[in-house]
Amino acid sequence: MSTDNIIELKNVGVTYRQRHSFFRHTSFEALHDVSFTVQKGETLGIIGLNGCGKSTLLKVLSSVYHPDQGEVIWHCKSVSLLSLGLGFDPQLSGRNNAVILGMFLGAEKHEVQKKLDEIVEFSGLGSFAVEPMKTYSSGMRARLGFSVAVKMQADLLLIDETLSVGDAQFKKKAEAAMLDKIRSNQSVVLVSHAMGQIRRLCNRVLWLDNGTTKMMDEPAVVIKEYENSLGLQK
Amino acid sequence: MIKSNRHLIEIFFTKLVFNLRSEASETYLGYIWWVLEPVLYVAVLYLVFGTFLGFRGGGDFVVFLICGKIPFLWFSKSVTHSSNSIMAGRGLIDQVVIPKAFFPLLVVFRDLVKQFFVFFLMIVFLLLYGLEPSLNWFLLVFVFLTELLLIIAFSLLVAAIIPFLPDFKFIVATGMMLLMFSSGIFFSYKDVILEKHQSLFLMNPIANLIKNSRQVLMDNLPPDWLALASISFFSLVLIVVMLAIYRKADTTYAKLAVQ
Repeated sequence: MSTDNIIELKNVGVTYRQRHSFFRHTSFEALHDVSFTVQKGETLGIIGLNGCGKSTLLKVLSSVYHPDQGEVIWHCKSVSLLSLGLGFDPQLSGRNNAVILGMFLGAEKHEVQKKLDEIVEFSGLGSFAVEPMKTYSSGMRARLGFSVAVKMQADLLLIDETLSVGDAQFKKKAEAAMLDKIRSNQSVVLVSHAMGQIRRLCNRVLWLDNGTTKMMDEPAVVIKEYENSLGLQK
Repeated sequence: MIKSNRHLIEIFFTKLVFNLRSEASETYLGYIWWVLEPVLYVAVLYLVFGTFLGFRGGGDFVVFLICGKIPFLWFSKSVTHSSNSIMAGRGLIDQVVIPKAFFPLLVVFRDLVKQFFVFFLMIVFLLLYGLEPSLNWFLLVFVFLTELLLIIAFSLLVAAIIPFLPDFKFIVATGMMLLMFSSGIFFSYKDVILEKHQSLFLMNPIANLIKNSRQVLMDNLPPDWLALASISFFSLVLIVVMLAIYRKADTTYAKLAVQ
């Protein structure tokens, strides 16, 4: 494995402004002084409680947000973010949505269309693929999103909890596809609450706590500390 | 991740075609609604103002109404549809890096495609109705292009404000109502407005564009070039300013979309 960095974060901070009325705003610091690097071919896990800034961090990594403080340096051309919210248009069919999403992940239209059957097949949607997305269950939506991201080439793949949705069968297939990607030197940042998954897939783990880095180390070490801290809170 | 402007334009037109198709598939009559809706609007206006209230407007009232209502509808629908476009696109905004002006522009182009059919049908109707065409009718293209610039400018403006100030959508709705009653759609400003106030009335770009449509189609005269140039210039300046604002506030919109 090469040790080149694919992305570097330096003292990154992100603040949200919440509007209450015309003159009253409160701000909320979702990330504060976060610094780390992701290396080429590495799978980095991110863990932490709900609302600790995991998703915000992925948005910074994918440049959906520019950080309010600090800076992010990319050494790669394409990054794709895959999260449960997925930007699907409910009126469009699954196939059309897959084309649009694939294009947004950096592919040309004909490239996505060439892979479209493969994507639909992987998602296991079958005849549902031509129905409007509004008729899909949340599991089906996540499956399609995951299938598009997995079949499209991106230098850095960011995954936000999508691996833990879908039925057991799809989960197994998705994890196998992820493992394939990881073995083929794909760089991945994975957010998950499933510690088993993090342990199996990741080289390193970042533990976020209230928007700051609590710990960053080997999975076994971080997960042990994390689970201990949860145990103490019980 | 968007690689180039060409790539973005490809995405834009792919989504445009998909959206038009899916929108048409939502109703039984599909594409027919694109032209049927404006026809119904004109029919309602004719019934209320032409028959019940006895307005005449100078010349043939049906033609008079069509030349006024069709350009107005294009503007009001495009701007109203654009107003919520950024909030409606929050799923994508939350997911991919995308210039936020993409959303209002997509709406404007969607309505533009429909408008092509409406304008085509309108010209066919006017010819069948017995209007004498002249070469000046071709100059109507410049009136439409001016209106398109005006629509792009106002759509960008309104769509930029609403994510910050959701309450503004009520103002937009009332504003469109005011515009409908004050742009001379069902009355001739020459009959109703004092001569000294007419130039003030024509400062309203929609009233001005309607006046120019009638000038071309009903009077067979060329449009008022100075007015078209002024409206185009004003629109272009507003478009450039708005695009700069969109670029500057990109992350702000991404955050607003999820709140």
